[in-house]
Amino acid sequence: MQQAIPYKDLLPAATTAANSGITKLVAENPVVVFARSGCCMCHVIKLLLQGHGVNPTIFDINEQNEAATIDEFSKIIDNPEEIADRPPPPFPTVFVGGNLLGGLDEVMAAHISGELVPLLRKAGALWL
Amino acid sequence: MNFASTQFVPSRRMGICEPLPQIGMWSDYKENNYLDTSTPAILEVDSRFDNQQLRRLAQNREAARKCRLRKKAYVQQLENSKLRLMQLEQELERARQQGLYVGGGLDTGQLGYSRTTNPGIATFEMAYGHWVEEQNKKTADLRNALCSDITDLELSSFVDDGMNHYFDLFLMKETAAKADVFYLMSGMWETSAEHFLSWIGGFRPSELLKVLEPHLGPLTEKQSLELSNLKQSCQQAEDALSQGLERLHQILSETVADGLLGEGNYLPQINAALEKLKAMVRFVGQADHLRKETLLQISRNLNNRQAAQGLLALGEYFQRLRVLSSFWTSRPRESS
Repeated sequence: MQQAIPYKDLLPAATTAANSGITKLVAENPVVVFARSGCCMCHVIKLLLQGHGVNPTIFDINEQNEAATIDEFSKIIDNPEEIADRPPPPFPTVFVGGNLLGGLDEVMAAHISGELVPLLRKAGALWL
Repeated sequence: MNFASTQFVPSRRMGICEPLPQIGMWSDYKENNYLDTSTPAILEVDSRFDNQQLRRLAQNREAARKCRLRKKAYVQQLENSKLRLMQLEQELERARQQGLYVGGGLDTGQLGYSRTTNPGIATFEMAYGHWVEEQNKKTADLRNALCSDITDLELSSFVDDGMNHYFDLFLMKETAAKADVFYLMSGMWETSAEHFLSWIGGFRPSELLKVLEPHLGPLTEKQSLELSNLKQSCQQAEDALSQGLERLHQILSETVADGLLGEGNYLPQINAALEKLKAMVRFVGQADHLRKETLLQISRNLNNRQAAQGLLALGEYFQRLRVLSSFWTSRPRESS
């Protein structure tokens, strides 16, 4: 069972305050996928991960939270240019074990090269 | 007993295949008793070579010999095909003169797409035509290289060149997808047989692995296992992309159908649908990305000769598909 967590649930009372909710989300969940609602690429990532027995946490991106979310990203990841340089949309974006894995390209590449499963295991996402 | 450094004892145990000018050709000795009488104990060799290298040299020679035989058979087949092709062209000309057959002739079976309205597509079509010519040439060169006594280093550059040629095609397709993704998806740029076997605008990676596997030569157990894992990973990735595409179909249909029998202004629905269609470009891109990653992963698990054989098999496979399409297009129509 996975839930899309509405952004507003993570906001503290003052909406202009920097939101640590996303950072917390990424740190506490082994696999987090940020994607626009109804994005088909997100569906592809979900299926791929579910094929490995992983239920990713999906975070719905919409017009209201997009900019703030990208801003949060630059605080989490070591090289913010990785996100900024990509032509929009940078979504879907996948975090594994608190670290940025990338978009569908990176997930596919890791899946084919056999690197994805060890990554998932290290992040504690696999039950076996 | 000491042997001078330029003399070799033709012992089967050492697997030497060098010609022996002082003693005679190697083949003279293979069938007679010379080998039986010389005991394997006489093994002092030239210090330049060790057993492993000699074995490898022998294996290379054997592989090259087999390759030459295959090439001979292939050329024979090619000659036969050439004759058949000439026959067909004659029939075609006859039929065309009689006004019985209207068509584009023995080419890649492209439909009457108005390419002139989309310069991006016109560019792609021309570039793709050149790509196919280049591909045929590279395939022939690779075949010759495998049959010759080529060094491993030279072979590896053939492999890199061959792989990069496929990657060039994926880049071309990326540009064409932005011009008109439906053109790519419709397969109008491919021959009919290729399109019949295609998946999201190109070859299906897992199918490709099945085609290649028997032609890579003997595989180690590790290699067989890796290949089997790769096949499975490809299938999983293909399934995920296919299902994602089906999802897009659903969403697109729903978007267009939203508010039917309404007030008449359905521009919002059209605009919404336009946005959804953009995802198509990403799907074709992801499919090509999967093709590229699969090719890279295969090459990581194979040595240079195996990879070269794989590329050769691939080149020949697609050539045959193209020829199949030509023959299909030009087959004599049965009169009713």
